Amino acid sequence: MSTALAILQALFLVLAAPLVRGAVGRLKARFQRRQGASVWRPYSDLIKLFQKEDLIPPTASWIFRSAPRIVFAVIVTAAAFLPVFQTTALAGHRGDFILFVYLLAIGRFFLMLGAMDGGSGFGGMGASREALVSTMAEGPLLLAFVAVSIVAHRPAIAGIVEWTVGQNFFDISAVHILAFTTLGIVSLAEAGRMPVDNPTTHLELTMIHEGMVLEYSGPSLALVEWANAIKLNVLLSLLIALFVPWGIATQLTWQALVLALGSYAVKLLLLAVLLAGIESVIAKLRMYLVPDFLGVATALSTLAVIFTMIAKR
Amino acid sequence: MGWSSIFWTFLILLGVLVPLTQLGTKTRALQAIGIALLILGIAGGLVLAAVCLWTGLSISIRLPNVGYFPVSLAIDGLSALFLFLICSVALAVAVYSSSYIGRHYEAVEARWMWALMSPFVLSMALVVTASTGFAFLFGWELMTLVSAGLILVEGDAGDRIHNVYIYLLMMHLGAAAVAACFFLYWPSAPGLEFAAIRSSSAHLSLGVRNALILLAFLGFGTKAGIIPFHLWLPRAHPIAPSPVSALMSGVMLKTAIYGLVRFAFDFLGGGPAWWGYLLLAAGAVSGLLGILFALQESDWKRMLAYSSIENIGIICLGLGASLLFWSYRSPAWAALALVGSLLHSLNHAYFKSLLFLGAGAISDATHQLAQDELGGLQKRMQTTGVTILVGCCSIAGLPLLNGFVGEWLVFRSFIAGSGLSGAGAQVILPLFVGVLALIGGLSGACFAKAYGVSFLGRPRSQGAENAREVPWAMRAAMLALATVCVGIGVFAPVVLVPVSQIAGGLVGTLPPSSELQFFTVMPRMGAAILALVTASLAVRHRKRVAATWACGLPALTSRMQYTATAFTKPLRMVFVRVYKPDRKIEVLPEDLPYFPASVSYRSVRTTSFEKSFYRPIVERVVGLAHGLRLLQTGNVQVYLLYIFLTLVGLLVFLRFAR
Repeated sequence: MSTALAILQALFLVLAAPLVRGAVGRLKARFQRRQGASVWRPYSDLIKLFQKEDLIPPTASWIFRSAPRIVFAVIVTAAAFLPVFQTTALAGHRGDFILFVYLLAIGRFFLMLGAMDGGSGFGGMGASREALVSTMAEGPLLLAFVAVSIVAHRPAIAGIVEWTVGQNFFDISAVHILAFTTLGIVSLAEAGRMPVDNPTTHLELTMIHEGMVLEYSGPSLALVEWANAIKLNVLLSLLIALFVPWGIATQLTWQALVLALGSYAVKLLLLAVLLAGIESVIAKLRMYLVPDFLGVATALSTLAVIFTMIAKR
Repeated sequence: MGWSSIFWTFLILLGVLVPLTQLGTKTRALQAIGIALLILGIAGGLVLAAVCLWTGLSISIRLPNVGYFPVSLAIDGLSALFLFLICSVALAVAVYSSSYIGRHYEAVEARWMWALMSPFVLSMALVVTASTGFAFLFGWELMTLVSAGLILVEGDAGDRIHNVYIYLLMMHLGAAAVAACFFLYWPSAPGLEFAAIRSSSAHLSLGVRNALILLAFLGFGTKAGIIPFHLWLPRAHPIAPSPVSALMSGVMLKTAIYGLVRFAFDFLGGGPAWWGYLLLAAGAVSGLLGILFALQESDWKRMLAYSSIENIGIICLGLGASLLFWSYRSPAWAALALVGSLLHSLNHAYFKSLLFLGAGAISDATHQLAQDELGGLQKRMQTTGVTILVGCCSIAGLPLLNGFVGEWLVFRSFIAGSGLSGAGAQVILPLFVGVLALIGGLSGACFAKAYGVSFLGRPRSQGAENAREVPWAMRAAMLALATVCVGIGVFAPVVLVPVSQIAGGLVGTLPPSSELQFFTVMPRMGAAILALVTASLAVRHRKRVAATWACGLPALTSRMQYTATAFTKPLRMVFVRVYKPDRKIEVLPEDLPYFPASVSYRSVRTTSFEKSFYRPIVERVVGLAHGLRLLQTGNVQVYLLYIFLTLVGLLVFLRFAR
């Protein structure tokens, strides 16, 4: 039952990802006083792309077609690490958050390679910028995990969630606030959202993710875009699981699961509103200010780790 | 008895027979037999090391005394691990060289190359199996001299002789420190047998122990290329022939790690906390600066040389964490961190030698190593490309490959540092997670760049355009190393079990077994990812090869692609304080800036330890020497005065000395 649910929650993260993206897009449109597209639009986009043909540049090697598949595979695998409805996940080992972070790194590595295999200028441009952002984001991401893990005295994501559920929300320590802010900033950078990257632009001065996927079309593009949506969903769910898990099912009863699903949906929606709000009011940062933005995250996460000394009980 | 005779055979084959077959005759057949004997001998050593490593067998053989000094060799757990490392890499390198050397060198050079490569491997084996100080120092010195000889086989044109000179100079400064380490034991353990050294260490005063660790850090740190003693490394490794670079970078540096572990853990048995902090600081500096310098190198071999400094940094981080845990009486975690470092030493040997051999294959196929002149090689060299990709992923620490295993262990031990009793240590150790993550992120960027620019996209030069796959022996060696990288990455417990026994033996407690079980998840996860990738590749789609839209231009050319220099531009701007780049842009013709016929861009790092660290020291020493020249007046009376003053001084000294 527990394993089945673990598979189900990983599948949920994968399948609901386009919906989250659609919801954020719709909310953003509303903030900007537009009608906006349907929240189901990303699904029809994916279906449309899967039916199209794959265009491959004449100079490309096998890496070009494999990269999107590898990216998709590792992001799906990373999704299996997260407790969503119950406090356990498919993979729940000691130190699994290091593996989680490095799985995301595999995805980035191959996306950069795929971009460079296109043989045009834009792929290299996107890859080069992605290298900058990801390099600066990895440290704070891991440090935030470390801080939370130290406070909870648990070495794995699922364990941290289990511990947090047992705590009182109003008892929450400074470490959690710092780590939450860090993870929030890093999530924006990792998922390629404003103010680090603008997911709707195709302007060569600013694009990062879009630059990397510019040469992709058809099913390959669909997989990259889907993977990117899953990444956003995974990172948002991570924020929920680590910092506001209350409502998650601790026993496997139907009532608890319904409550878990409901509270998760509400929290996700709130985060989506927050994200849409941020994207509507904040302009994209200049490329060379992004490291400063991530430097703030690094500083916050360092403080978080230092404060664990006081917060430990 | 049987095993020690294999050891004898190994020593005689590599030390005597193989060099004799190369230099003693000019018969082709005999030389070929010599090469076969070398491969056979190394394979024998590998089997021996593997048996010792996995069954816990230990062997010792005694050689005749040299003068007063006893000489003997022994293989215990730690020696077996490093002997295994040396022989396994050397085996791949020897197979590779059997094809590479013939293609690149004249008959005379080739003979010297083989004749020196064999004692080079032997000298490293001597260092890690020595059980007396004399045997160790003999191997240590032989290793330096023979490797310098190997660099000089290609001739001594241009900068080469200067670089070799710096190499030899720094190696001997290091060797002096290593020798001093041993001779500090002279009063308590005459003969310098390791067993006596070990038992007398407990009675040393703290001052002597501190002096020992500092000397060991200086001596072994120079060999390992820890910043700021790394000066020789980026000079010597790139100019050596590729198989030799693979041995130097992959294996020779590890003998220094062996020495450091032998002294700090086996002989001295840990020490005060600052030993740990020293290694942590050195590791962080070497790791960060090493990878930052590597990132900006667009020559394959120079980049790999700098990345060796980075990996030595990671190994030092693990050693430092281990010493720190030990000083706080938390031996289980000390053992885990030590397992991390030892395993990373092993892993680095495999992926770094793989990449150096790969660099040799690139230069074999395209006649150049500058990344900015390559491109599109994956389509032209399928096997080489895949093996280099495996190497790049391993070195970037990606999961399912061996680089991740060691780094994970080091990460875990850093996090576990929060449980230490020291108020400083429990915050500082977890913060090093950020340092290691930054190193990991940078090396990901560095090697995505290296592989992407060289192997993907369009070829940027005629050489890359016409590249052909290299012969099978070279490919086989690289494939074998790549297989080992994947094998350790997926089935880590195979090597984790013996290595944790060794670490447990050194520290006194086995590492927490719950931590080592983590790696059982790898085969399943690998299978899941593989299944997802193959399934999505197997789904049939319509595919069409179509030219990329060129934004209205006639066609895309290779010059429109990002080069390695362009790729790293954003990171160069962020870390501008580290590089202080000197930028030169030349636009021709000068009078038409908006319609340039050619634009050349150059960006060079201007910071260097040579200028800011070594030059002032050298100048100070030379200045002092000039000052001392005042003493030498050439006047006999003055010299008589010196003698008189010395005599008076000595008498006064004797009066008050009692």
